[in-house]
Parts: sequence; C-alpha cells; structure tokens
Amino acid sequence: MNRLRFAKYAAFARIAAALARAERGELLGRALFFPIILGVFAALWRAVGEAGMPLARTPSTLVWYLASTEWVLLSTPPVHFEIEQEVRRGDIAYHLPRPSSYAVSAFAQGLGVLSVRAPVLAAAAFVCAFVYGKGLPEHPLALLYVVPFGLAAQVVLLTFQLTIGLLAFWLQNVGPVYWVWQKSAFVLGGLMLPLELYPAAVQRLAHFTPFPALLYGPARFILGAPPTHGVELAWALAGWFAVAVLLATAVYGRALRALAVNGG
Amino acid sequence: MTRRSLFGTARFARALATTSIRSAMALRASFWMQVVFMVLNNFTFLVFWWALLAKVPSIRGWRLADVAVLYGVTAAGFGLAVTFFGGALQLGRTIDDGELDPLLVQPKPTLLYAAGSRSLASGLGDFASGIALLALSGQVSVWRAPLALLAIVTSGLVFIASTTIFQSLTFWLGRSEAFARQLWDATLNFSLYPEPLFGGGLRLLLFTIIPAGFVGYVPANLVRHPSAAGASLAVTAALAYVALAHWVFRRGLKRYASGSRFGVFG
Repeated sequence: MNRLRFAKYAAFARIAAALARAERGELLGRALFFPIILGVFAALWRAVGEAGMPLARTPSTLVWYLASTEWVLLSTPPVHFEIEQEVRRGDIAYHLPRPSSYAVSAFAQGLGVLSVRAPVLAAAAFVCAFVYGKGLPEHPLALLYVVPFGLAAQVVLLTFQLTIGLLAFWLQNVGPVYWVWQKSAFVLGGLMLPLELYPAAVQRLAHFTPFPALLYGPARFILGAPPTHGVELAWALAGWFAVAVLLATAVYGRALRALAVNGG
Repeated sequence: MTRRSLFGTARFARALATTSIRSAMALRASFWMQVVFMVLNNFTFLVFWWALLAKVPSIRGWRLADVAVLYGVTAAGFGLAVTFFGGALQLGRTIDDGELDPLLVQPKPTLLYAAGSRSLASGLGDFASGIALLALSGQVSVWRAPLALLAIVTSGLVFIASTTIFQSLTFWLGRSEAFARQLWDATLNFSLYPEPLFGGGLRLLLFTIIPAGFVGYVPANLVRHPSAAGASLAVTAALAYVALAHWVFRRGLKRYASGSRFGVFG
C-alpha cells in the first residue's frame, strides 16, 4: 500500500521533471541570470570596500559565497505561485477529488523540477563564480559540503514555500507574504552579506528563524567553516524541515475544511 | 486615433480601474493583509542598507536618505503600476492559455483590457510605503512633491511596459511565464541599488533589456537633484518603453493562436 502511494507521487515528480527538461528556454534564462546577479554584487562589494568597510574576506571568497546562497534560492521552484494560480482560477476543484493529496503532489512536482534545475544551476553558479572570483574558492573542498547541504536546504525551502502557497486558500494573492519571506531570507539568511557582518541584534534575531540554516549554513563552508559545522547544520535543517512539514500539514488541513472553491 | 475615441478609451480605462480595484477590495481581510505585508516587505529590505550604511558614511556618494528616496520612488511606482495594470504581470499565462480570445472581440484596446483587468491589493501597500519612505528621507519638500509624483509615474510606466514586453515573449517562446517573472523581478530588485555601483556591460544592460535604471535611478535622481534635463529623460524613457511594449504586443498578436476555449472573461 505504502509502495503504491510512493509510486503515485514519484510519477508526479517524474512528469514535473520531464516538463522542466522540456522548458529549456526557462532553464537557460535562469542560468543566464547568474552572471548578472554576481556582477551586481561583486560591484557592490567593491564599492563597500572602497568606502572603508572591513569585509574580512577576499572578494573571490565573497563571490563564491554569493554563488552558493543564490544557487540554493534560485533552484527552488516557485511552487507557491503555481498553487496560487490553481486556487485563483478554480483549477483546484479538479485536483481535490483525485485519489492523491494535493499538497503532497505539489511537493512531489516541486522535487521533480528541483532535480532538473539544481544540477544545471549549480554548474552555472560555480562557473560564474570561477570567472568573477578569478579561480576556485580559498577552500575548494568546501564545495563538497556546500552541494549536499545546499540540496537539503532547497528541500526545506520548498516545503516552506508550499506552505506559503497554501495560504492562497485565504489570501488569493500570496505575493506579499512571499516577498516578506524572500526579503527576510535576503537579510536574516545572509544572502548577500555573510550574517557575521550584520549588527549583533540582526544576528540574534536571525537565529530564531530558519533562514541562517537555509542560506548562510550551507554557504558558510566557503568561508572556511570546519566540517564539524555540518553536524550542527544537519540538525538545524532536520529541525526546520519538521517545522515546515507540520506547518504545511496544519495549513492544508485547515484549508480543506474552510475551502470555498473559487469558480471551480 | 481621433479625439473622440481617445476620450472613449480614457473613460474605459477609468471604469476598468474602478472595477478592478473594487474587485481587489472585495475580500476585506485579504486586502488589508496584503497591504500590511507589502509595507512590511519594503521596510524589511531597507534593513540591509541600514546595516551596511551604519558601518560606512556613504557608498559612492549615496547615504541612507538617498537610498530611502530610491526605495520610495520605486516602491510607489511599482505600487501604482500593479494597482492599475496588475493584469500585465500575468499576461504570459493569459496568452498561453488562449484567454485573449474574449478580449479580441471587444471594441477596446486589447492590451489595455488585459493589463487593466486585474488590480493587486498589495500595490496600495507599496504605494503607501513608498510615500512614507520619501517623507522619511527628508529630501522631498512640498515644492518638490509634484516632481516626486512625476518620478513615481514614470517609474511605474517603465516597469509595467517592460513587464508587458517580458510577458509578450510567450507569443514567440510558448510557456515562459516563470522566465518573464524572473525578468521583471530582476528589473524591480536591481532598481533598488544605487546606479554608481555599476559600470560597463552591466550598466548598459540595466538601462536597456532590464531597465532597472529607468525604474529606479533616473526617477530617484529627478527627486534628489531636480532638473529639466532629468525630467525630460525620465518622461522620454517612460514614453519610449510604453511605445515599445505596445509595438511588441501588437507584433505578438499576429502570431497569437486562439485557445479554442469556451469561457467568459471578467
């Protein structure tokens, strides 16, 4: 029975992966995004360095750091906007009677897309970092830790974004919630600047949120974090994954009870 | 276009905006939540600049007050754009799903209808926070308020025009909504960085394909350092992007294949 259930969701993931592979233009567009993003931030750090702010890191290290955090963020599919569209258009009415959980199938589809995007975008991010950073990072072996922990972080991020998408049952437009989430990730996750460069108050606040584990945690290996950091990070990711699953389950349960299909 | 049909289109645009905004406000709790979240969103990202500029007095001549002006103009412009033309953000999906069919048989401009048929409640939150940031910056006096309004309008027009161009790529590329979203997201995000940071190819890119410079820097500079040249540049850029968006959409329409889908619009 469990095997059958698993096979059902694995099929959702396989179909989503096949669709993602077919949409080559979109994949290429995302990959082409890295040179722009890394160019913008490399310029920002140069200016910050000129202004006299001690960065305590070489520009090359910071470029590799950003490539890692951006890879985690950009590879995660925007499942929340897919859910929002389906709720808004009433398509959800066709999904709910199926013998599968809508939330789990959306998650499986997200994993399918992630399995295609993550390797392609990792290649794009690291090639760009190599070019802008003029070589490998100071600790090249760090990449062996960044990749698996980054993948785990993407799965946790996907689960949180699924929860945000499910809020569309009440909000219709989940954009504002997602943007607050995204901007919080930028700041509290240390997307653009390592968290240690922020004021102590911001760092303290960040530790109560999942963002450091999702972005700063995997990318911290680039800054020279010891392998033992991996143990702490694995626990943090597992904990936040549990929180995300509980939240998604609770929100989905409430959504089903409160559902008023929009035009379905 | 005759004067009479121009007035007719303006009346239609006003009626469309009123209906779309009323529709967005119909779900009161959702509406206010979106407004509040958008205000929160805008102030959250400012923390990054606050943290950075707490350590150095300025970055290439930009202080926190200047960044607040940049943020204020961009947020208010974006807010205005998505309040009145929120449908442009979903144009790609509308094209791909063949939902332009019911609009094509209407006697009104198709692009105006498609873009104006949806209003995002969050736009009002953006607009309000943009105005608040401009006020907090201390750089907008009562005398400069009309200029600030002009800057906001040009910023919003360039944003919505470039979004229309990105979404119209669907006519040629097929389903590419996520790519278009990424492009307009990039336009919006990069418009929030001071322009003196960029040089060379990146600068060219941010003033052409991804017109972040005309969404953020040029209008913000008009508020910071008012001049006739600055005003003409902002207005000319806005009109040029609107004309380009209109042209691209019309070219795309020639390739449009109907969805053969029975449905109603509105």
